[in-house]
Amino acid sequence: MAGLELLSDQGYRLDGRKATELRKVQARMGVFAQADGSAYLEQGNTKALAVVYGPHEMRGSRSRARHDRAVINCQYSMATFSTAERKRRPHGDRKSTEMSLHLKQTFEAAVMTQLYPRSQIDIYVKILQSDGGNYSVCVNAATLAVIDAGIPMRDYVCACTVGFVDETPLADLCYAEESGGVSSLALALLAPWRTDRSAADGRQAPSGPLRGSDRSCHDSL
Amino acid sequence: MIKTEKILHLKSSRGRKVRVVREHYLRERVPCCSCLCQAACDNDGKVLPGDLTHYVVPDVGVVVDYLEILEFRELQGVVFTQTACQAVQHSKGRRQYNRLRNLLKDPRHDCVLFANEFQEYSYCPREKGESQEQWQTRCVYSAAVWYHNHLAGMMDIVMITEDRDAIAQYGSLNAGVYVISVQDFLRDFWPQVQAAHELYSSISQALQEKESEASQKEYSEHLPAEVLEAGIKSGRYIKGTLNISKHRPQNEASIMTDGLSNKSTDLSRGVLVDGGKNRNRAVHGDVVVVELLPKSEWRGKVTALTEGQGEEKGGEENESQPMPTGRVVGILQRNWRDYVVTFPPRDGTQSQSRNSQRILAVPWDRRIPKIRISTQQADALQDHRVVVRIDSWESTSLYPNGHSVRVLGPAGELETEVQTILIENGIHVAPFSDAQLREMPVNSPEKPWTIDPAQAAERRDLRESHLVFSIDPRGCEDVDDTLSVRSLPGGKLLELGVHIADVTHFVTEGSLTDLEARLRATTYYLADRRYDMLPAVLSADLCSLLGGVDRYAMSVMWELDAHTLAVNKVWYGRTIIRSSYQLHYELAQALLNGEEAEVPELSELGPEEKDAKLAELTQALEMLTHVARQLRAQRDRGGALELEGVEVRAQLDEQRNITALVPRQPLEVHETVAECMIYANHWVARKIQETFPHQALLRRHPPPRQEFFSQLVDSAKARGFAIDTRTNKALADSLDQAMDPQDPLVNRLLRMMATAAMSQALYFSTGLESQDQFYHYGLALDRYTHFTSPIRRYADIVVHRLLTAAIDLEREAGLGQTLANNKELEEMAQHINNKNMAAQRAQKSSTALFQCLYFKERDPQTDPSCVADAVIYSIRNNGILVFVPEYGVKGPVYMKNRDGQVVAAGPDGSCEWQSGSVRQHSDHISTTSSCGTSTFRLFDHITVRISVHSAPFHGDSLNLEVVSNKRHRSPEPQQTPSQGRSQLVQEVVRLAEEASQQAQEKKAAQRPKLSKEEREFRQSKTPNLYSLLEEVRELALMDLDTAAQVCATTA
Repeated sequence: MAGLELLSDQGYRLDGRKATELRKVQARMGVFAQADGSAYLEQGNTKALAVVYGPHEMRGSRSRARHDRAVINCQYSMATFSTAERKRRPHGDRKSTEMSLHLKQTFEAAVMTQLYPRSQIDIYVKILQSDGGNYSVCVNAATLAVIDAGIPMRDYVCACTVGFVDETPLADLCYAEESGGVSSLALALLAPWRTDRSAADGRQAPSGPLRGSDRSCHDSL
Repeated sequence: MIKTEKILHLKSSRGRKVRVVREHYLRERVPCCSCLCQAACDNDGKVLPGDLTHYVVPDVGVVVDYLEILEFRELQGVVFTQTACQAVQHSKGRRQYNRLRNLLKDPRHDCVLFANEFQEYSYCPREKGESQEQWQTRCVYSAAVWYHNHLAGMMDIVMITEDRDAIAQYGSLNAGVYVISVQDFLRDFWPQVQAAHELYSSISQALQEKESEASQKEYSEHLPAEVLEAGIKSGRYIKGTLNISKHRPQNEASIMTDGLSNKSTDLSRGVLVDGGKNRNRAVHGDVVVVELLPKSEWRGKVTALTEGQGEEKGGEENESQPMPTGRVVGILQRNWRDYVVTFPPRDGTQSQSRNSQRILAVPWDRRIPKIRISTQQADALQDHRVVVRIDSWESTSLYPNGHSVRVLGPAGELETEVQTILIENGIHVAPFSDAQLREMPVNSPEKPWTIDPAQAAERRDLRESHLVFSIDPRGCEDVDDTLSVRSLPGGKLLELGVHIADVTHFVTEGSLTDLEARLRATTYYLADRRYDMLPAVLSADLCSLLGGVDRYAMSVMWELDAHTLAVNKVWYGRTIIRSSYQLHYELAQALLNGEEAEVPELSELGPEEKDAKLAELTQALEMLTHVARQLRAQRDRGGALELEGVEVRAQLDEQRNITALVPRQPLEVHETVAECMIYANHWVARKIQETFPHQALLRRHPPPRQEFFSQLVDSAKARGFAIDTRTNKALADSLDQAMDPQDPLVNRLLRMMATAAMSQALYFSTGLESQDQFYHYGLALDRYTHFTSPIRRYADIVVHRLLTAAIDLEREAGLGQTLANNKELEEMAQHINNKNMAAQRAQKSSTALFQCLYFKERDPQTDPSCVADAVIYSIRNNGILVFVPEYGVKGPVYMKNRDGQVVAAGPDGSCEWQSGSVRQHSDHISTTSSCGTSTFRLFDHITVRISVHSAPFHGDSLNLEVVSNKRHRSPEPQQTPSQGRSQLVQEVVRLAEEASQQAQEKKAAQRPKLSKEEREFRQSKTPNLYSLLEEVRELALMDLDTAAQVCATTA
């Protein structure tokens, strides 16, 4: 992999983007009628499906219930066909557990859980095709699904990855770049400003904050 | 942007085929880099001119195989496609790709890169069943068509390809886009560039040869890269740079490993690679991977001197103890460069039977194997030196294949040999191009250059207030340093000023001149000529601080305490100066000595005025000498070394014939000027390092490795001297003590050995080393840089820019330009270091060349100048190494010749060859024959005859032969110029000691001493300030505490 030139002298990346350009974003909300909220998001070739159930009563052990807020339960998984080689991915392996935990922490900070004491919100995210930036795509897809479910949030959570090549920050890495030995950072942010767009307009909403997030990523680097 | 997808079929790590989908974004606006562009493309950087007849778009195959032709600067308007660049990267590797990248970056080349695969309309996806080559050609063609349309048909596009089918398929598809072959292209458009045509035929021949290779294996195959990587990681293989021995190029080579990674200590000395088969096609300088052989096959290095280079005996010779030995299993990085080879004369021994076109040419560098060249000009090239490049070395071939690039000329001619030296050292000095010269300011009689009033307002004007003068070698054109010294009102303070030519004012960063200067990095001085770093209008005129004209300068001025020389204040800044006197060393020394000397600047003045001016100048020179002595003494206390190199100058007459070889004669003035320059360099280093702690360019001299001193210590022991090498101070002291009153040469030789043991001083960026690594061992300074010669060294230009930035920061003017960061600076430092080494090597080889020419014209048997005195400085097991002080020649003398005969000295000392045996001891070598035993000791004087050993394929070399074991003739009253310097230093130190003793004696009368000083310093008769100052100085030296303080502040 050492031979790959991640950023050419003319400023192009492997796939023809410039350093600060994002991949093409496509999103659709309300893809499932049964769930309370659902969204499908593509960022380039990374495709994720997020589903939200709740808020509803605690399922399973009631002892986990909190009297002052809702509990958020996240589950991340990857489809067997999501990578170039078909591979069975059992639930509960380390990577997906870690990812689930990250998602949970992110959304506990974003969702106004205090409005729903003693209840539970389930967020399920599945990666259908993996091409880099899995975490940030999951966060963005889950945000859309939460919006679709009508659960109040402090703000939209937007996530983006940033890599660093020859002292130039690259936004939204693809798989080839991630595996090419770039140091990378995934950031999920509550945008510090308010958009006056309605939640229903969510199809276009993500791209704005995403750009912002990548700018913030730059600043934080 | 439009998103598409590329589907690739790659192999996974387990060897299975995997289908990979990669995104591919297309955009409408991709810069076209042409000034004809109608669509307002975002063109920054290089732009193709619009006044050409056509643009050239080379096909992938052309870029891969014929890149060298496209490198010709005459070829303008070349558009490289992204497709072609990627193909180069994949098929030719990193090195070739970097070469292409540098070509694209180089502003002197008229070529651009077009990212055709990211352009919406020029991109064509690969179709099913289409081969890679076909697809690439289609891509390039579509890029060519796009260019034609984009420029609205104003420019014809020529696509060149070697693919006949493509010419047929695309040739007549579009008007304005022509598809032709390389040969037609060169013939139709560039018939005048003969060199390109020759190169084309040479490369295409080599390519054809490659296809028709024999199949018999001569070498084992190299292992694939993955196996090598894994092997290095697991420790099974060792990676390192192959270094072929100069003396035994056929058999002996060693691998220098990268050092730190060695776990076992026995690898620290490197790994030996013995013989051609084990070397397995690696060439000197390649990065190779070796596998260690079993211990039973380990061998040692041969320590005997080899006579008659080239033929080697395979017999068991004296070997040092066995060291790790290995064989090359793979090559990670080829380091092929341009080689100079000589075509052998055609005498029928060549392999004419098979193919008369293939010639085995012999490289000039002995370490390079013979190169097989296919050429049709074999007859014309006999005994010519030619630049060639190696193309490949298959395992089926005993020798590498190459192609010729350029003919230098017949071997043995001076011009050819000098060019050979330049190319072998990687020095390229093309004449400055018109575009570069156009950047230069004009200074002609009709349009004289004048000072810009805006600059005059910004700069400090020293024209009226300071007496500025320069001291340089006689006939020097590029005067880059001038000096001034005066005592300030009040008498307590001295002001010393060093004014350096302000080159950066004329050479702006990033200009063509700057790039060229950076590439050259230094002015190259050869024995008979020099190649300037800057165009002559700058180096010999506008930047040169000539006498009597206004010039811009960069100045450092110190206010020094007149007594202690403690630094009171330092001022750095840009100035305007007018040098009053342009002195040369001999003249300055004469003035100092109080001799009658004619100063040309004063010749037209009346006698009174002349005397007054002369007295003023002499006084300034004396003050300067005084300051310099003190500074030197300070550094000596810190442990500064005084080292000895062999410097010989060839004196030439008008026809460039050598009339004599003259060793350099150092005078005290040399020392004075050098000391002031060292002082300026040191203070500038302090300034830039303090302002830019992470991105200043300094120069460091790492302490030498102790084991290198063993020869010096052993040799000195033979004469009864003890050399302490623990610190530079100890070394300097013990070298001063190792003085044989009978033979001053001993000290000189010891100093030469010490110099040889030193490591090389290097430029570096301060961000890369910790501060304790900044030390300059030889000068005993904690920080040092090069500031004083910007006309001939690029490092100084960089330092000037840093200093300007530092001054601007201080004035809070902000940085005008962003400075080079640590990484860039380090790269630049590496580059300058490499070029400096190349320059030194070139200078050395050219000196050797002239030495050979000098002796070639003389008959060694009859001419008395071919017999000279020599001193033995090292003992080997079949001979001795001697130094000939008269000519500055070092070389081996064999005690045993190839017939097994040894040198036997007769009773009168004359030597002859007789059969016998040789024995080596630690400090002498003795030969036993029928006439008895004769012994040669270290530092013995012997008489040698110098003759030229001519080697048609390589450079000539000098051959030394012992004539007598006695000193040559009666020892003449030999001048020992090196003494002058050390004596002076001792003088100053002794004076200081005396003065301090006197201080303890509570001011003894000092008056009577003055008469002695008068004699010592050859003070002029006329009463002047000198005696007064001398008095003042002695008073100053009494105060020991302040003297210690001076040390502390300057250390």
